[in-house]
Amino acid sequence: MEKQFSVVGRRLPMLDAAAKVNGSAQFTDDLMLPGMLHGKILRSRLPHAKILNVDVSKAARLRGVKGVVTGAEIPDRQYGIVPKARDEYALAKGKVRYIGDEIAAVCAIDQEIAEEAVELIEVDYEELPSVFDPLDAIKEGAPIIHEGVANNTSFAIRKEFGDVEGAFAASHLVSEDSFYSQPVNHAPLEPHSAVAQHDPIRGQVVLWSSTQIPFFLRRNLAATLQIPESRVRVIKPKVGGGFGQKIDMFAKDFCAAWFAMKLGKPVKFTYERDEVFIGTRQRHPMYLKVKTGMTKDGKILGQQFLAYADGGAYNSTAPTMMALSCFFLMVPYHVPNLLYEGYHVYTNKPVGGAMRGHGIPQARFAVERQLDMMAERLNLDPAEIRWKNSIKAGEPHPGGFVINTCGFAESVRAAAKAIGWKEKRGKLPFGRGVGLGGASFPSGVTNMSHISSGAVVQVGQDASVNVLTGAADIGQGAETVIAQIVAEVLGVSLDDVRVTAADTGATPLDPGTFGSGVTVRAGNAARIAAESVKKRLFECVADELEANPEDLVAKDGVIFVTGSPEINIPFAKALKAYQYKDLPMPLVGRASWMADTSEPTTLFNQPGNFSPSYSFMTQAAEVEVDTKTGKVKVIKMATAHDCGRPINPMLVEGQLEGSIAGGMGQALYENVITEKGQVMNPSFLDYGFPTTLEVPEMESIDIETDDPVGPFGAKEAGEGTQLSPAPAIVNAIYDAIGVHFNELPVTPERILKALEERK
Amino acid sequence: MRLPKFDYRRPERIQEACAILLDQPCAKLMAGGTDLLVNMKHRAETPSTIVSLKALPDLDFVQKTNSALRIGALTPLKKVYNDPFVAAKLPALAIAASSVGSYHHQTMGTIGGNLCQQTRCKYFNQSKWWRSSRPLCFKAGGELCHVAKREGVCYSTYCGDVAPALLAFGAEVILTGAHGLRQVPLEEIFSGDGKTPLKIGRGEILTEIVIPNQAADGFSTYGKSANRGSIDFPIVGAAVWRSSSTGESRIALTAVDRKPVRARRLEDFLEGKQLNEETFQAVDGLVAKESRLMPSSIDSLSYKRKLMGLLVQSALSEARGGE
Amino acid sequence: MKQAIALEVNGDTYEVLVSPNQTLLEVLREKLGLTGTKKGCDLGACGACTVLLDGAAYLSCLMLAVDAVGKKIVTIEGLSQGGELHPLQKSFVELGGLQCGFCTPGIIMTAKAVLDEEPQPTEESLKKKMAGNLCRCTGYKKVLDSIMGATARMGGER
Repeated sequence: MEKQFSVVGRRLPMLDAAAKVNGSAQFTDDLMLPGMLHGKILRSRLPHAKILNVDVSKAARLRGVKGVVTGAEIPDRQYGIVPKARDEYALAKGKVRYIGDEIAAVCAIDQEIAEEAVELIEVDYEELPSVFDPLDAIKEGAPIIHEGVANNTSFAIRKEFGDVEGAFAASHLVSEDSFYSQPVNHAPLEPHSAVAQHDPIRGQVVLWSSTQIPFFLRRNLAATLQIPESRVRVIKPKVGGGFGQKIDMFAKDFCAAWFAMKLGKPVKFTYERDEVFIGTRQRHPMYLKVKTGMTKDGKILGQQFLAYADGGAYNSTAPTMMALSCFFLMVPYHVPNLLYEGYHVYTNKPVGGAMRGHGIPQARFAVERQLDMMAERLNLDPAEIRWKNSIKAGEPHPGGFVINTCGFAESVRAAAKAIGWKEKRGKLPFGRGVGLGGASFPSGVTNMSHISSGAVVQVGQDASVNVLTGAADIGQGAETVIAQIVAEVLGVSLDDVRVTAADTGATPLDPGTFGSGVTVRAGNAARIAAESVKKRLFECVADELEANPEDLVAKDGVIFVTGSPEINIPFAKALKAYQYKDLPMPLVGRASWMADTSEPTTLFNQPGNFSPSYSFMTQAAEVEVDTKTGKVKVIKMATAHDCGRPINPMLVEGQLEGSIAGGMGQALYENVITEKGQVMNPSFLDYGFPTTLEVPEMESIDIETDDPVGPFGAKEAGEGTQLSPAPAIVNAIYDAIGVHFNELPVTPERILKALEERK
Repeated sequence: MRLPKFDYRRPERIQEACAILLDQPCAKLMAGGTDLLVNMKHRAETPSTIVSLKALPDLDFVQKTNSALRIGALTPLKKVYNDPFVAAKLPALAIAASSVGSYHHQTMGTIGGNLCQQTRCKYFNQSKWWRSSRPLCFKAGGELCHVAKREGVCYSTYCGDVAPALLAFGAEVILTGAHGLRQVPLEEIFSGDGKTPLKIGRGEILTEIVIPNQAADGFSTYGKSANRGSIDFPIVGAAVWRSSSTGESRIALTAVDRKPVRARRLEDFLEGKQLNEETFQAVDGLVAKESRLMPSSIDSLSYKRKLMGLLVQSALSEARGGE
Repeated sequence: MKQAIALEVNGDTYEVLVSPNQTLLEVLREKLGLTGTKKGCDLGACGACTVLLDGAAYLSCLMLAVDAVGKKIVTIEGLSQGGELHPLQKSFVELGGLQCGFCTPGIIMTAKAVLDEEPQPTEESLKKKMAGNLCRCTGYKKVLDSIMGATARMGGER
């Protein structure tokens, strides 16, 4: 049988793989511009304090120091990634709200002097009472962290679908349980960095930044510098991992640009590792209370949630995070009646932000744990309860989601089979067990004009293909996937396609890498742009091939007539033909794409179809608990994943494997520990995410569906898969030792304690 | 994070190095540098002079003599555990050396440097800015110990992996000074004072480790509990040696006090006894008596306490298997 | 006081003026422009800065540049010969042993040192030796597969 696609669906190396293995790939901190100055930021040493005075005189006098700036000098313009939740200054004005809050910055001829200078800045503080736990912060009389935000609650959401009370009344079993999910740091290997350069004549700032969101960064930077967006150009070099942490503007971006404008020289700011841990973003810690009603045979009738998210000192993505946490309770299971109440609460701690899964992992952990607990009480198989409740493609959805394709039920069966569920569940010796977790994730969002992607595909005289995309490749391989899509459409090889990406001065608009929308959104824009090129090329060669343009196919470097491959013209020759007809060159196709939907949603105000498509996955873990030391070894993790049609299975697998390591870190190893608001483990050594020695055997199973919206049927891959490893592991621990853990992480100490209590 | 400024000396003879130490009271020795340079970047240690030992000849060796195994202080850990004699006859040392840090640390780090590493504390092993949230701690030159919440003391913890193995072997070390050398039991170089954990005379350098032949005649092992399988310092580490001829036991622990400690009460208890479930019952209590656990790390004390007994018991039961 | 030193990097000798408090990592990146060697933590806990010193895997962030005098230093830029990628590099490209690529140079340099001393490592030995190189993207599976894949390619060549 002829294979359907030539480039899509193939395990091809990333376009920039060679540059990444030979050291030539340039990350932001690798950029060295002539005359470049180096910056350093002074951060608050107190969790909550008024800034009475900042004396920079000693720092300014130090030889080699070129500039100092404090919060008092910068424009009075707050920023934030979500427009309705702007609450942050690049440098604090008037008061600091957590240990790590930025106060001032220096710029010097070298790094050493900048570090020395920043220590010479003297800050007079008036310390204010602090609050570190959201459950304390919401109480009457708690310290107010942001003026005008009552009970420190910066965002609240309450959504009801159906009739929850009625559902509980009709239930055979109602269970109410409490859960806690800890703060987790993204810990990308590349520390955040920014380099800025200013053109004083044209008034343009160029910022190279380790960012996931070049275009949003441009907007935030222009707003805070109070210059037109057109005067800011953001270029994303290689980014060394983001996982959501690089979705925001940071002080380093603003300060680099500020000094570049003031001093007329290029300026670099790169964070130290402890600044990444303390002063950027982390996964929101969350307290969750979940009440679920089920029939005797395990059908979910209704669920009620009460969530308190610890936002730390600022909002960042708060409203989006809470909304995602709410809406995505209605996949992958059919929940006919749902009541969700959630609060985002400020505390004097590091700031919560988007992190792989973004508000959903916390809720997913609670639900997946509770499903197992309830299955046990109903004497049902946890695998069965999962596929039995699986949402189905095409069925009406209480929240208005339109599920076109859904491989969830199949993924439960496949993952269970791969882990040996039937033979192992409840049958392994004490200390060993298996567990499952399911999840679903959006592929970007629908109906938001500002979340659109553009693409330009240009074919030159030599038949080479150049793609312009705004998509931000942060290591996941977005540029490669987009190039594969374009190559497939045009019927050329991947080697013929060049990609220029993520430069707001050269590439079309793209919101960036978040919400798992890149493949679908930027991929569709690129697909349509390429199709428009192809259409014109077909029109041009149709005569010569004596066929209708509609009957032509481009594949493997050749354009031919459907059903008669012998009637063909090579792609390069077609380009020549185009030129001989004296048609204007280059051949350019353009597209702008956003996910449309018949079910409108504004996310916060009205339900509707949130995303153009939804990925589905089940992870199955086998663990071994050392009952003496309490250590858990994850032996194997099987992932069955419906990401539509994978454009590049090797990259998809890489995403799955990475999310297993991340998920097991969250389950067992990782926790940002604070003592009175101070992070006690802001280092790779003490934070301790998994190494080669911890990760399990991994098996990836592709549950292929053909999504009607995604390019070549593709859906989201790799973010949703970080939702279910933690509950799968914790459920497996239950199977191993018979203890329910509803708080993360499950440390060896907690296991030993629980085992003792069990005796 | 830049290193602070310092004078750099790279003597080519030991005597020269000793002379610099005598002349510069604030000088620090550097062998592999994997411990000192981290502390210096944090400004937790700011020596005026670094005396790099990297150019000293003849201190990188593992040599078997009639009475002992002699190891030069500058021998990289990797070379120590790859030595066939060490691997075959002194497994506690091989295991301990190969459990230090990561492969890189084992390549760069030396056995002498590992023994002489700084004590550790969650309030001390942090950047200077981080530490500015609290008053300067006693170890870093201030008054207060944030662990003990008292002035004038330091409860940082010794976390070296190799020391307990060598203590269990009854190893001695050679200290070389400007006017000659002396050989002392390894145990004697640890002061038990968190602020200045080493009791080595001014101008003296630890140049050699001497492991008596007796150590090779018996069972030995090192058990380490850490968060991950690599990179990390021990939450607790325990070495056990048991003579095959006399039945004598020596047991030593790390990460339980300001110095590595010998579990003498347990050793005495085990004297002449069979290793069995009954004797094992006493382990937890006796080991606990030797430790001075303080909350100087992010690990919980109750977990550390459990692990101590567990590691020793598990080593002893391994020893029993061989008997 | 700055001093002039000669460093032998990737087979060439560079004379550089350095202060004793400059690490080898800083000198490689900032003075020699060899930015392939990465600073991930600067405290020896991630392996991103790994280079070879006389063939052994060193953390260049914990090495004074002045202490590297007289050593043969090889960085990621010096691994490929004559425009051809080293077999290890090829293996990482083809088997997808990288994602963001930030940890990749350090991982490849450590793998080179490991395979030079142990051409056919067991999986357990390889995992242990590679554990000091953190990666947050890949979950390590394809990293280890790439190294194992390279052992076959490398054969006798080294």
